[in-house]
Amino acid sequence: MATKSVKTAQRYAMVIDAKKCINCKACVVACKAENQVPLGVFRNWIDEETSGEYPHLRMSFDPEQCHHCADPSCVRVCPTGASWQREDGIVLVNEDDCIGCKYCIIACPYDARYHNPETHTVGKCTFCSHRVDRGELPACVETCPSKVRVFGDLNDPKSQLHQLLATRRYEVKNPQTGNGPQLYYLL
Amino acid sequence: MREPVWEFLIVNYLFLGGLSAGLYFASALATWIQEDGRSAYPRIARWGALLAPWPVSLGSALLVLDLGKPMRFWKIFFHFRWRSPMSIGSWLLVAFTFLSLAYLWSWLEQDERQSLQARIPGKIRKRIPARVQRWLDLDASLWRRNLAMLGFPIAVGVGIYTGVLLGAVQARPFWNTNLVAQMFLFSALSSGTAALVVARLMDREPVELKEMRFLYSMDITLIVLELFIVLPYLIHGELSSLAVKEALAQVLGGPFTIVFWLFFMGIGLLLPLAIELYEFKPVILGKGTFHIQPRWALTAGGLVLFGGYMLRYIFVFAGQATGFR
Ligand code: SF4
Ligand code: SF4
Repeated sequence: MATKSVKTAQRYAMVIDAKKCINCKACVVACKAENQVPLGVFRNWIDEETSGEYPHLRMSFDPEQCHHCADPSCVRVCPTGASWQREDGIVLVNEDDCIGCKYCIIACPYDARYHNPETHTVGKCTFCSHRVDRGELPACVETCPSKVRVFGDLNDPKSQLHQLLATRRYEVKNPQTGNGPQLYYLL
Repeated sequence: MREPVWEFLIVNYLFLGGLSAGLYFASALATWIQEDGRSAYPRIARWGALLAPWPVSLGSALLVLDLGKPMRFWKIFFHFRWRSPMSIGSWLLVAFTFLSLAYLWSWLEQDERQSLQARIPGKIRKRIPARVQRWLDLDASLWRRNLAMLGFPIAVGVGIYTGVLLGAVQARPFWNTNLVAQMFLFSALSSGTAALVVARLMDREPVELKEMRFLYSMDITLIVLELFIVLPYLIHGELSSLAVKEALAQVLGGPFTIVFWLFFMGIGLLLPLAIELYEFKPVILGKGTFHIQPRWALTAGGLVLFGGYMLRYIFVFAGQATGFR
């Protein structure tokens, strides 16, 4: 895990080893609890896909959430600058400036944002920036019993994330969106 | 996308914004074209000027109401984000609304201006500085043409903006083509023209042939231009990448097929075009005499407006149902 944020060029990202996912949804529950996400909306979820023909069926689970894109379209379209990106790549919403126009929800190719029915502003995954800034891991990463999620600094060669990406094959989802997604799915 | 987050308020807003842009554009053109040193179609110009500010104002109010936090709408104007179409568009809308109000003022007769001022409660009226009072009394009719010219780019900008708001979103392949902006623009100008056909026919003063000739030729041109955009949009989309093809399936077999082909293409575009062409035949062919059949003209005008609304409805809803997954 990256050490406490000293001002170096950090770039946070996440590696996801989806093959290990057992769809227990502990990450979803942990996120809800950690971030007090209202009922009915989610910051992360598991995409389920069934393929094959009976009796040769295969089910795959893909954890999904905001991809903390390198060139986030949500930030580009926001008319007030409420959607913004930190130097370390984390994309956040400043709720005080959000007018609830929902343009960013529409502009996110990964459908990662939601309209918060309680505050009427927009919410999304924050990579648990409040925890990261304390030197902790995001709640979903810490909770996952099968160690599907690896969070870390792309620019830190010693990080597990960096080493995984250096040695394993991976893909990002829909690179053709041009957003530069930063969730790396191991193959 | 799971559920649409932009719904009918946005549909109405896009339609009304475009309608105002079209009204202003048609009116400005009618003002700008001169005959014997006066505007050639003064009644059309005046109707357009009187109507133009209102749909967009209503539309903007709807847009504000659609916000999760309507009371914060002013924040848009305190953070200029030039990469956000909504930020640029909001400034454009403000400029357009003020301009169209000034333009309206320039088309008011002296007695109309005075009776409007007489409505201001006396207590307030006394407080208005003399300079402003003189200014309110000013006969701005000489400014009409300048305001019209100034308005062309801004009205066109508003018309385009309603399309760019959707077209600039690369996450929605149904919108994200370089044709949507023009499609919305021509549709907006056409609905403004159609609204003037309707307004002019409802007017007490009988309509003149040359006025109808002006409105018809403009609307026919615009509808044809719109067709020239919609068809390539479909054909090119079908020849495009999978995401675009899948997005187009919304109107080619998907849930919006009937609305698109019957209500937009059929009733809202081709039918009024057919009616207008039929009415206009004598002018086009140079044979026979051009009559106006108010019933047909009103029908065509109404259908064009209906079609414009359908286009926005289809785009707002079908577009949100598309994506890369
Ligand atoms: S995934 Fe969506 S919300 Fe997250 S940064 Fe990218 S565009 Fe923005
Ligand atoms: S909903 Fe809020 S964060 Fe999203 S674009 Fe509008 S103002 Fe920005």
